[in-house]
Amino acid sequence: MILELKQLTHRYGDELAVDDVSFELEEGELLALLGPSGCGKTTIVQAIAGHVQPTAGRVVLRNRDVTEASPEDRHVGIVFQQPTLYPHMTVSENVAYGLTARGVEPNQRDERVSEYLELVDLTEQWDAYPSELSGGQQRRVEVARALAPQPDVLLLDEPLSALDRQLRERLRKEIARIQTETGVTTLFVTHDQQEAMALADRLIVMNDGRVSGSGTPRALYGSPPTPFVASFLGRSNTFPATVVAQQPPTLRVGTHKLTVSNQELSVSAGTSVTCHIRPDGLSVIAPGSENGTALSLAGEVVTVTDVGRRYDVTIRTERSDEFVVETVERPPEPGEEITLELPRDRITIFETHDHDRGSTTGVPEH
Amino acid sequence: MSLARLSRSQQSNRLPELLVPAALGTLMLIYFAVPFVAFLTRAGTTNIITGLSTPEAQVAIRNSLLTAPISTLIATAFGVPLAYVLARASFVGKRLVEALVILPLIVPPVVGGAMILTAVGRFTPIGSAAATLGISLTDSLIGVILAQTFVAAPFVIITARAGFGAIDERLEQASRSLGYGPLSTFWNVSLPLARGAIIAGIILTFARAIGEFGATMMVAYNPRTMPTRIWVDFIAGGMDAIVPVALALLGITLAVLTAVQRFGRVPTVIDR
Repeated sequence: MILELKQLTHRYGDELAVDDVSFELEEGELLALLGPSGCGKTTIVQAIAGHVQPTAGRVVLRNRDVTEASPEDRHVGIVFQQPTLYPHMTVSENVAYGLTARGVEPNQRDERVSEYLELVDLTEQWDAYPSELSGGQQRRVEVARALAPQPDVLLLDEPLSALDRQLRERLRKEIARIQTETGVTTLFVTHDQQEAMALADRLIVMNDGRVSGSGTPRALYGSPPTPFVASFLGRSNTFPATVVAQQPPTLRVGTHKLTVSNQELSVSAGTSVTCHIRPDGLSVIAPGSENGTALSLAGEVVTVTDVGRRYDVTIRTERSDEFVVETVERPPEPGEEITLELPRDRITIFETHDHDRGSTTGVPEH
Repeated sequence: MSLARLSRSQQSNRLPELLVPAALGTLMLIYFAVPFVAFLTRAGTTNIITGLSTPEAQVAIRNSLLTAPISTLIATAFGVPLAYVLARASFVGKRLVEALVILPLIVPPVVGGAMILTAVGRFTPIGSAAATLGISLTDSLIGVILAQTFVAAPFVIITARAGFGAIDERLEQASRSLGYGPLSTFWNVSLPLARGAIIAGIILTFARAIGEFGATMMVAYNPRTMPTRIWVDFIAGGMDAIVPVALALLGITLAVLTAVQRFGRVPTVIDR
């Protein structure tokens, strides 16, 4: 294990910024730490790098407890959201800066600098000053500077958030390529779920100082462990249900009964639960054409929004639950009576109304 | 600066927005310039070379050239680290420390001199202890340095503090993560990046130190520095008597200012 965080907790005064966070990074892994701003991501990065002394918990790098160690005694590369290149040094001097401190021999230094400038495709900017580079080039030099001393782990703290969208997407691919080529263990911090899902092998979703879910992008998107993850990773429809039986897992939604075979229930009959389903999991059919395998709810079309590559259809059911359906087919007209089909295997059940229950109306898609 | 230039060129066909402030500012400038020009006109009628070749003037110039750089050096060596701490740390009583730094600026120099006297005068514990070692803290060049440092040091502290404050702390964090300890990070990153501000502060401190009169007069009326010499000459011989030393003082300050700016590649003292 390259990096282990054990029950990391940090307070700024009375404010709890990080609350009992534990996770691990394996060698060569690209892990994204994802969450809204103010959820404690940056504090975690600062604690790993040693710029913040955590209130409690341990930071273990390559099986060495570095919680008390100074930043210079940890082998951690860091790239911030804000540019931190040294304006009084050239590009090559910036990249060489960390090599000098780590005792790389002067004759090997130039070699290593050119190796890493080549990696980020900036060999020709060797003698340039940071102010002469474009924003994207500066970012790449920062990545080269952080990587040149060959750190145990590379921390990227919202490295693309200050850039415009096109550049962000280009650099995202660059980072993916660099990470694959160097194989450096990387913690990528971002508030952008698309960025995180596109880049990472594994995601850790944070909310309000805590880990709200972790897993591969596909698993987290497909079966979110918490309502927060459901709403943060894409859009989410939620609706209330009541547990009818634990075995087999059976719910009552309005007047309908529904058996969900792919999930287990630990709460007893009579308990209220919240169900979640993605807008792309739903389908709209004409009343009367149900085939009985899915949960079918009668409803009325409220609005239809044409967003170019698809339609967003808002539907209100008889019980006044609102659903958004994404469809590429010709949508029904507002006011039309329709039947909403909820495939059983696309429904996720949240048993507890835990602390991180997020907004249930769904996050607008970026 | 670049913004101001931009808006001016964009809106050149309109009534200049800076008309009113520029008019008021011009009055201020005239008020600066008139006494300066008047004094220089007067200088043309006196023999500067003769005035500066008297032994008294020579001693005063030598003393000033000796004490002011030392005072500036002391103020820089102790003031810049203090400025860094004030820019980076927050601690209980910081307000008090900041007030203390400003204190020499708001206390009239002559009162500041009196305060120094009450602290290190000949009959105080510190003063008498130094005297037994054969060191005189008043009426000596050391006294001059004490007075100059007290009055002039706040300039370099305040300016350097602003310079350090303008550096994003993450630049220092990046340096730490690249393997440098706090001291080498200060030396490699913070100091070079705050250089402009620090040099500006050094110039202000030097100018203030070499021109210091009020506190110096209280602590060390003798040996004479250029400002005390000017005062003595003025009492004895009126306006014409002070012109040579006064011009020399101005010349030295300007020369140092130019040299430091050229050497430190700082555009102007105030505009960074």
